[in-house]
Amino acid sequence: MATQTVEEMAAGLFHDVAIPTIHIGMATCGLAAGARSIEELVIKELEKRGIEARIIPTGCIGMCHNEPLVDITMPGMYRVSYRNVKALIIPQIFDAHFGKGEFAKKYAVCQIPIAGHKAYEGLPLMAETGFFKGQVKIVSSRCGLIDPSSIDDYIATDGYRALRKMLTEMTPEMVIDEMTKSGLRGRGGGGFYTGLKWKLTRQSPGEEKYVVCNADEGDPGAFMDRSILEGDPHSVLEGMLAAAFAIGNSKKGYIYCRAEYPLAIKRLRKAIDDARERNFLGDNILGTGFSFDITIKEGAGAYVCGEETALLASLMGERGMPWPKPPFPAQKGVWGKPTVINNVETLGNVGHIILNGGDWYASYGSEKTKGTKTFALTGSIKNSGLIEVPAGTPLRSIVFDIGGGMLEKKIPFKAAQLGGPSGGCIPASGLDTPVDFENVIAAGAIMGSGGIVIMDEASCIVDTAKFFLKFTQDESCGECTPCRVGSKIMLEILTRITEGKGQEGDLDELIRLSMYVKSNSLCGLGAAAPNPVLSTIRYFREEFEAHIRDKHCPGTVCANLIKYVVIEEDCTTCGLCEPVCPTGSVTWDKGEVAHINLETCIRCKACVDACKFRAII
Amino acid sequence: MAHSDNAATIHITDEEIDHICDEFGNREGAVVQILQTIQDKYGYVPAEVLERVGEDLGIPHSKMFGVLTFYSQFYREPRGKFILKVCVGTACHVRGAGLLVDKIKENLHIEEGENTEDMMFTLEPVSCLGSCALAPMAMVNGNTYGKLSGDKMVDLLKQFREEASGAEEAEAAPAS
Repeated sequence: MATQTVEEMAAGLFHDVAIPTIHIGMATCGLAAGARSIEELVIKELEKRGIEARIIPTGCIGMCHNEPLVDITMPGMYRVSYRNVKALIIPQIFDAHFGKGEFAKKYAVCQIPIAGHKAYEGLPLMAETGFFKGQVKIVSSRCGLIDPSSIDDYIATDGYRALRKMLTEMTPEMVIDEMTKSGLRGRGGGGFYTGLKWKLTRQSPGEEKYVVCNADEGDPGAFMDRSILEGDPHSVLEGMLAAAFAIGNSKKGYIYCRAEYPLAIKRLRKAIDDARERNFLGDNILGTGFSFDITIKEGAGAYVCGEETALLASLMGERGMPWPKPPFPAQKGVWGKPTVINNVETLGNVGHIILNGGDWYASYGSEKTKGTKTFALTGSIKNSGLIEVPAGTPLRSIVFDIGGGMLEKKIPFKAAQLGGPSGGCIPASGLDTPVDFENVIAAGAIMGSGGIVIMDEASCIVDTAKFFLKFTQDESCGECTPCRVGSKIMLEILTRITEGKGQEGDLDELIRLSMYVKSNSLCGLGAAAPNPVLSTIRYFREEFEAHIRDKHCPGTVCANLIKYVVIEEDCTTCGLCEPVCPTGSVTWDKGEVAHINLETCIRCKACVDACKFRAII
Repeated sequence: MAHSDNAATIHITDEEIDHICDEFGNREGAVVQILQTIQDKYGYVPAEVLERVGEDLGIPHSKMFGVLTFYSQFYREPRGKFILKVCVGTACHVRGAGLLVDKIKENLHIEEGENTEDMMFTLEPVSCLGSCALAPMAMVNGNTYGKLSGDKMVDLLKQFREEASGAEEAEAAPAS
């Protein structure tokens, strides 16, 4: 594991625990699952029983499917994690721990080791559970374990040690060397070597340079950066400090964070204030003469601002439109000065690399993609959540081991969508693809920032391609014609296909347009926009053809191509379907099989949902 | 987001605008943040306010209008008390976000981006809010609601209405 093992990390936090400690997962996902009311109930229950305990809100440990999560650490014992905690089970958990000195077996997921503490019998360790077994946590190692609003928790888990080491024992060149050795590549999706980027910015002449953290995570289905910002904000600050030290002449940094992440912004503000107070930020840091400070800039809702030049334009108060490169930000960035821009996850790795060395980091991962990568695993999968695995882990093991397989056991895997609107779909035949930069590109998708959306056979590939294209078309900034007009025409063709008006030759036209938009767009948004279309045609051509020729949607998603019918043998003539139809298209008489009038049916699916016998398809 | 009650057209004095611009040092680079501050305070950015900010910062109105309309976060019209940000990102899409949006439209008789007549609700489908494991989900005035269904959504709408009428009663009651 990372700089410290989970065990050591927990030991750092618990060396003086004399009273019971209760951790509650309070990242955005936890809160959405009701963590706030769980916290209130826990407080009430403690008061009722007259128990003194410490309550610590923590970030996301990755098991989003198990939220709300509550962990209980009794003095001298390992930390026990409880999942899907509801009001009714809190008293049972408390009875077990505070009454009998046991744990509530029925609701516990796993236990987290703490050095010098004792394990409970009959409960797997965190690292032994299916979800965590294949994972290696470096950048997300603190998420869910520490209190993200406490700088002391960060320091107790090796935080700011890299900063001290760098400022007192290393030269900027040595820092760049370690980064180069680590092989770390930009985790926002670009995959540019971080060491090289820092070196180029260092070589760029200028008395004033800037460090920018790209926290404008906009890919739908991706929330890795949010989890890091909410769960371990100081690690990002420490990474920025290292970048500033390495490039030289940099006194100021910006974090450009999307406004849709209010909690992340709140945690960052607190982290910056606390770091200033301890002199990890500000003038003459730790008395070494090095000065650096950070300002947060909130985005205003434009996906294209994740592109680095568009981000810089937005940062300077302009419309967020990209500019042609060169000049690269390393030459001319914020206010025309040399600027290094790194993604949240990239920066979060930096402290670990400086402390443990580049070789240590490079010992994880595949040949060309070193280290680990976090992924947001979502869609029709059992264990959705945030995971971190060594680069090169096969897609199959991500989906079926860590992910626990499909959400609905009976509906098989159809495709994994990787890389969001710039990525593509990998079908079942590509499940053995090692997930790293090169192999995923060869399979027709991109690793991108790390969103993996799992689709089952009940989803429609054409609809998915249309969904992504609609997204990029909406978010196209309009500056260059290939992206602005090309994506619009492509979307029109796809929409036509999903409405049952597809024509012969549509697919060839889509491919031709895709190639044109790809090679002629100004920035990455346009250049990657056709990827979802190309990869789906490559692997699922028959499904497109079924839509075009047979006017049939195999996934029964495209409303215009669905024809609902009542299966006479299965209909129990109960009549439940009749009253729910908003258009009166379902007719039924007592004792008779129901009938659907397709002329007036609006395909709202209400009758399908109402039927308890699956007699309407 | 503590939006003020913006049921009626709001009036902001020039002095208030000047004051906000001053806080950011009247810098051109701060124009996005200035507009964010104004919107946070008043709920939207009226045309005359945009003009005044441009004058203060020495930016042509054409450019100010360009910036304001470029970002989806800015509004030029008043909005409802409760902003229903329904996530229509990939994971939510796969798990039926479209049905949620339809249910709201049907229940409130509004289309995407519109306000209800009583200025209580605004429907605003948004791209990913980053809580994909709880799909489909929505964010209303900064609070997140996960694993929604059409029926749960209708219950929520009812709950918001009750909240609003409760708050009004509290306001109407004399301070003790």
